Amino acid sequence: MLIITIHKGLDIPMAGAAGGTITDRRDAKRYGVSPKDYVGLKVRVVVEEGQPVRKGDALMVDKDDERIRLTSPVDGKITKIARGERRQVEMIEIERCDSGEERTYDTQDLKASMLQSGLWAALKQRPFGIIPDPDDHPRDIFVSTFDSAPLAVDGDTIFKEERHREATLHGLVALTGLTDGKVYVGIDDASEWIEAALRGKRRFVFTKFEGKHPAGNVGVQISKTRPINKGERVWTMGIQDVITLGILAHEGKYEPERVVAICGPAASHPAYYRVIPGVALETLLHDESLDGKRIVSGNVLSGTRRACDSYLGAGDSQVTLLEEGDRHEFMGWIAPGLKKHSFSGTFLSGILPRLFRSSMRYNTGVHGGVRPLVMTGNFERVVPMDIYPLQLIKAAVIGDIELMEALGIYEVEPEDLALCEYIDPSKTEIQSIIRQALELCRKEGV
Amino acid sequence: MIKKLRQLADRMKPTFSEGGKLWWLHSTFDAFETFAFVPNTVTRQGSHIRDAVDMKRCMITVVIALMPALLFGMWNIGYQHYSATGEAMTLWSCFLFGAVRMLPMIVVSYLVGLTIEFAFAQIRHHEVNEGFLATGLLIPMIVPVTTPLWQVALAVAFAVIIAKEAFGGTGMNFLNPALVARAFLFFAYPTRMSGDKVWTAGDWWGTDAIAGATPLGEMMGGSARPTASLADMIIGTVGGSTCETSLIAIAIGAVILLVSGIASWRIMTGVIVGGGLMGIVFNLIGANEYMQLPFYYHYVMGGFMFGAVFMATDPVTAAQTNIGKWIYGLLIGLFAVLLRVVNPAYPEGMMLSILLMNCFAPLIDHCVVAVNISRRRRRGKEVRR
Repeated sequence: MLIITIHKGLDIPMAGAAGGTITDRRDAKRYGVSPKDYVGLKVRVVVEEGQPVRKGDALMVDKDDERIRLTSPVDGKITKIARGERRQVEMIEIERCDSGEERTYDTQDLKASMLQSGLWAALKQRPFGIIPDPDDHPRDIFVSTFDSAPLAVDGDTIFKEERHREATLHGLVALTGLTDGKVYVGIDDASEWIEAALRGKRRFVFTKFEGKHPAGNVGVQISKTRPINKGERVWTMGIQDVITLGILAHEGKYEPERVVAICGPAASHPAYYRVIPGVALETLLHDESLDGKRIVSGNVLSGTRRACDSYLGAGDSQVTLLEEGDRHEFMGWIAPGLKKHSFSGTFLSGILPRLFRSSMRYNTGVHGGVRPLVMTGNFERVVPMDIYPLQLIKAAVIGDIELMEALGIYEVEPEDLALCEYIDPSKTEIQSIIRQALELCRKEGV
Repeated sequence: MIKKLRQLADRMKPTFSEGGKLWWLHSTFDAFETFAFVPNTVTRQGSHIRDAVDMKRCMITVVIALMPALLFGMWNIGYQHYSATGEAMTLWSCFLFGAVRMLPMIVVSYLVGLTIEFAFAQIRHHEVNEGFLATGLLIPMIVPVTTPLWQVALAVAFAVIIAKEAFGGTGMNFLNPALVARAFLFFAYPTRMSGDKVWTAGDWWGTDAIAGATPLGEMMGGSARPTASLADMIIGTVGGSTCETSLIAIAIGAVILLVSGIASWRIMTGVIVGGGLMGIVFNLIGANEYMQLPFYYHYVMGGFMFGAVFMATDPVTAAQTNIGKWIYGLLIGLFAVLLRVVNPAYPEGMMLSILLMNCFAPLIDHCVVAVNISRRRRRGKEVRR
């Protein structure tokens, strides 16, 4: 097994990690499903307000391919279909009321079961980060079994129960049925047992990743093992969705659930919860005071901002709480900066990071004005891919598709350049630039 | 006090906002407001937290790194003056003399440069960029002490308008503005920028000079070695542009720039290695006395180190790729020494060498990136076969 150590990257020292036991909140009442959690997805709603639904029933279908559906994670009743601009669906809200009946799925025709249950939407195609076409044949499938983002759920917690460990293995084996290529699995210390359990099985490639964030990003793992070339497509799946897939493939049951960390420097009670995806955030945040705080579904680097009456984002396994930073700071640009985190050495805390590690304060402040991209050589230090990030970002800004392709736009998702956005002294919104560029390439290109 | 200031800013803000009476001055207001207070804007999407560093912090770090060289330069201006006149001197009298000569140049440089910057920012409805904080200080530090203030003003105006704003402002220029200012003076007023009668100030206010050669000037004149000892040149008690002489003061600045990560160690090392290599090649050829000068003399004479640490490392005009930075640095050092030794017209090659490589930096980057691109293309082709 290949072991790759990621030296280029950054672990942001941040307090507020969840720990300890997992509280079971699978009994929560309210759920929401949003098409906005999926890149480029345009949907048609197939339910009405007040209509009863069962777990795995379609709520919305893809306008371009009706086999792709977003389904209800629980039995219950549609309470609201929220629409935004131009009547686009923003959220379908469901109030739970268990029927007690369990639907079973065909364990032989897995693709059909995944499409029917809605688990298909958990697959992502690279390039573009979209839900893949069911008729497509991906070159390979990649799974990262760990998350290296700040305050992410740790592997030991995810794989605590024997049932989930078994389901992980079933899920990975099931993935081999979706590709003619291989299933690449990126592992760390906490998931090394997977390699041991599946050793000798054909069509698996295990690679162990060590080192700094973004070592756990599947994009980094792809670029280190078998990078994507123009015209190729690979699929990826989050590790907790692989567990759901394993249960579907082995037991024929659709039981979406995941371990979620409530975390962040502004979280007063960081904790792990076991929930059903799409759960209302208020059920997880009832212990927290939310005044002047921001709720981020996902990690601090690439999560999405949520209102307190919103729902857990699809695919997210953490909810991060942050202080809002809407304060003026007097002469902040010359202060010694003992409590400010910086990748650069322009603050004392950056020169002596160990000394000040525990006292770092974070908020959502931008800490400066937007400027042209002046500094160079820093992005390269946090992007462990064979890519020139600055040049790629500039090509993305001007929308030069040919140049972007040449510079490797298809190998990245915004999350892979999230650290660039964090450390950038010019305060450029790099992730949204990359997302727009990818959308441009998807619509105009290949 | 701080609260009052904040309240004042908040009260004034509407006047300068769109629709307000003084909207046409909003960039100016912004500049002063963000100078006093880090803005309270928050992230909207993407990364919800941001690094504490911003362009102001980067530029102020450069200014701090320049301080040792500036302070030493001020003292040395006085020291050179009193040494030449033979008057009695103390540490403070030297420093005072230098400060009186230096501060007006700095004030004029900032005044002219910032006025133009503010005007352009206003016309473009941009925020005022911090880049000039460093440029405005650099320009007085690399000219002879006897440069008239009007020439400083003219050079700054030329550099900011032609070399920077014409291309879109900080971050868009391809030539180092501070060096463009110096090059402008060098070619427009050559008698004020070279020779023996410009390096030592003759009086407190005027532009009179006392004759006194720089080490580089002596070498041009055909000496086998500069009169000043190696130690003097390392400490910096020799003639030269105002703040370029002390290797020690520059080294302190270099440490600040490298620890803070603002300047590229690749470029600095590249320049030093490149200059050394060229010097060694000349030592091996040894065709004349200048070629026989031990290569390390090039490090201590003239503005080689000042250029290597503060000029070549300007991120906007340097190469942007890591490999490109090595090539860029090496070639700067190489050309600087080449120009010094074999070009009869200019005693100092650093300025022209950096400006030359500024022009080639995009080409270097293009080639480095092209390697990456062709590697990616090849990988794609292999797969398709």
